[in-house]
Amino acid sequence: MTAPLLKISHLQKRFGKFQALKDIDFEIYPGEVFGFIGPNGAGKSTTIRVLLGILKANGGSATIFGEDVWEKSVDIHQRIAYVPGDVYLWPNLSGGEIIDLFLKMNGEHHSEKTDALIKEFGLDPRKKARTYSKGNRQKVALIAAFSTNADFYIFDEPTSGLDPLNEQTFQEHVLQLKSQGKSVLLSSHILSEVEKMCDRIGIIREGSIVETGTLAEMRHLTRTTIDVQTVQPLSELATLPGVHGLTTKHGENHVSLAVEADQLTAVMSYLTTKQLVTLTSTPPTLEDLFMRYYESPNDARTADGK
Amino acid sequence: MMSGQLFKRTGLLIRLNLKRDWTKILIWTVTLAALLTAIAAKFDGIYSTQKAIDSIVTTLKTPAMVSLFGAFTAKAPYTTAKIFATEMVVFMAIIMVIMNIMLAVATTRGEEDDGLLELVRAHAVGRLAPLSAGVAELTGLNLILGVLYGLGLQLSGMPGADAAGNWLIGFGLAAMGWLFGMLTLLVAQLADNASETTMLSYAIFGVMYIARMSTDVSDPRQTWWIPFGWIEKMSIYQKNDWRPLLWMFLFGLICAALAATLNWRRDLGAGFLATRQGRRTASPFLAGPATLLWRESRMVLLAWTVGNLVLGAAYGSIFNTIGDLAKSNPMIKQLLGASALAAANRVIVKNFIAVLAIVIVVVALIPAVQTMLKLVSDENKGYLHQLYATATSRWHVWASYTVFALVEAVVVFMAGLVGMYVTGLTVMTDPIKWSTYWQVFLAYVPAMLVMVAAASLLAGWLPKWRYLAWVWVLYGFFSLYLGSLIKLPVWAKKFTPLGFVNKVPIKAIDWSTSWWLLAITVLILVLASIGYRRRDLAQ
Repeated sequence: MTAPLLKISHLQKRFGKFQALKDIDFEIYPGEVFGFIGPNGAGKSTTIRVLLGILKANGGSATIFGEDVWEKSVDIHQRIAYVPGDVYLWPNLSGGEIIDLFLKMNGEHHSEKTDALIKEFGLDPRKKARTYSKGNRQKVALIAAFSTNADFYIFDEPTSGLDPLNEQTFQEHVLQLKSQGKSVLLSSHILSEVEKMCDRIGIIREGSIVETGTLAEMRHLTRTTIDVQTVQPLSELATLPGVHGLTTKHGENHVSLAVEADQLTAVMSYLTTKQLVTLTSTPPTLEDLFMRYYESPNDARTADGK
Repeated sequence: MMSGQLFKRTGLLIRLNLKRDWTKILIWTVTLAALLTAIAAKFDGIYSTQKAIDSIVTTLKTPAMVSLFGAFTAKAPYTTAKIFATEMVVFMAIIMVIMNIMLAVATTRGEEDDGLLELVRAHAVGRLAPLSAGVAELTGLNLILGVLYGLGLQLSGMPGADAAGNWLIGFGLAAMGWLFGMLTLLVAQLADNASETTMLSYAIFGVMYIARMSTDVSDPRQTWWIPFGWIEKMSIYQKNDWRPLLWMFLFGLICAALAATLNWRRDLGAGFLATRQGRRTASPFLAGPATLLWRESRMVLLAWTVGNLVLGAAYGSIFNTIGDLAKSNPMIKQLLGASALAAANRVIVKNFIAVLAIVIVVVALIPAVQTMLKLVSDENKGYLHQLYATATSRWHVWASYTVFALVEAVVVFMAGLVGMYVTGLTVMTDPIKWSTYWQVFLAYVPAMLVMVAAASLLAGWLPKWRYLAWVWVLYGFFSLYLGSLIKLPVWAKKFTPLGFVNKVPIKAIDWSTSWWLLAITVLILVLASIGYRRRDLAQ
């Protein structure tokens, strides 16, 4: 595999006594869309601000394009674009002026693409930033970012104020970037968005990365939900290894259960011996995965999935 | 019920305001009350003999002093207390006005700009509750200060003081402060953001200050037309006239009522001076942090430049009255001869210029320090985060703000001197040459640069303590504006670099001082830039 574009290892950040980042570890490769998810206050934005050289790390290392994010911030920023979750803009400048300013500060110019984006997102560029809503402020930042020709894009909850139509536009543009071989770091709470666009996902909680991998790999770590009805009674089912949350449903021999990925074959062969009437299996959604990490404070994987 | 709808939960909001502002309020009240009391207590020592009193009376009667401290209305027999009232009341009133404008802006437009008011108003809170909480806070603060002033003066026991006069000073200052607090609340309804409100309020105050100066010098009776001038009309320790307080109270009340009417009618976040549409694309000029700062602050710079130009021009316009010894004493011309008289006149005007230089310097420092601290407030407001995500270095942003602030100080200072020069040229028969003003300029610039650089240092290392920069400027103003009148010891004047500057144009520039002040500026700036590059930005 090629060298990672972004590499973070054992990153730490303290604010006074509060350890905001304890151990952050992940990589992003060229042409990859990386989803960064975790509860509020887990350290997503802090991590991103360290990556941008706005905060100085207390330990560990973080590099983008192989350069240290603090020492070489300006060189790095030349090749990245960033959209924060809360966009604050100079109140007495118009949206159009701010877009151009951001472009110029990366050595780029207002292009046809910029005009097309302004039209596509439906922004009135002549209004003063003071009068924009949250969604419109985000559009200003998004238009500037998408019209920048960068190699790496960082989006920190960029769609929290956008309407569904603009959210769609956002997703299309991210997929376009991906098809051009650009890398994207997308921090988001909208899990369907992450599920749809991201190649790999990192889950952060309480300042540590608890899981990274593709959605398929992560699914492997969790349980498939099975809803099954059989002809013969399923008396031994509860004793099989890897079976959780067995509940009796309406109707004879009708149960639902969650099965650990590595015990799936054994459980399925047991079920077939009992003569299947109906069977539906649902792979875990990102939301299921996510909930598990949210709910149990210690070790997510040992907790029962009820 | 209607009133319930309008004022519901005002009490709760007052408590909230106090929780937010209590440090500011505490610092202001303690400092101001202590300042006035300490000076009053010291006055007995400074002007204890009748001879000292009589000599200062002659000084205070000169147009130069009248323009700074108001018309000298006290009648013989002169007492220490009467001198105190003449010297201190206008000065303290200026400080009271500044305090009230700052607090009134923060509690109205400041809250609204931050979006806090929207949250508050979404709760079961009356439409006028936030405004009335502001009124209550300002009223309470001014009242408390009035009482503290009165008590302080009672304690100080100046010869010639009486209880009525003491309380009149206290409540007169409180009423003047309150008047400007209410006026600012009104202005806050007209402008649609905090910085415009601040600028408009200071502009109104500046116009009143200059207007009272010219009426005081030409015809003190006309000063009655100017609300700020009422503070001089109380006839303290003589007739102890309480009528001006009534006028102040009525004027403030009208402002408050108008503010409430406008506030009740307007939309949240809107003002009567609406924001215009902007450009579709940026001009080629707007391309980085320096030009961005220029684009944001150019109106502020223009306003302060014009303001100081007008102030300087106003001072210059009375140079002929000041510099005319023959007017007060016709015999003097025969005694001295025409050329010697002209020389004596010039010395008087130069003396006056030396005193005025302080005012012009401090006025020029205000926008400069403001720009320097904007580096921190822009960071706190989140504007800079996106800037840093572009290929813009910390150093570049820091340097843009710092250079802009340094240039601002120099430009605004120069404007004041130019104003003085131009009107002086037109009114005087034997005008002061430009080279004299140039000397003043050269003398003060290094000291000013040190003060701006210090603000930059605070922004770089101790952003939370940035307001110390204001304390320093205020102290510089106090120690030099009042310093010689209250006989402040020399070392106390040297807490600011301004205190090291020679009394130019009466004395020559002390070049060695200038050079080491410049060296200190460079040193501080180097330290400041290191600090700003090393620290975390606000979350």
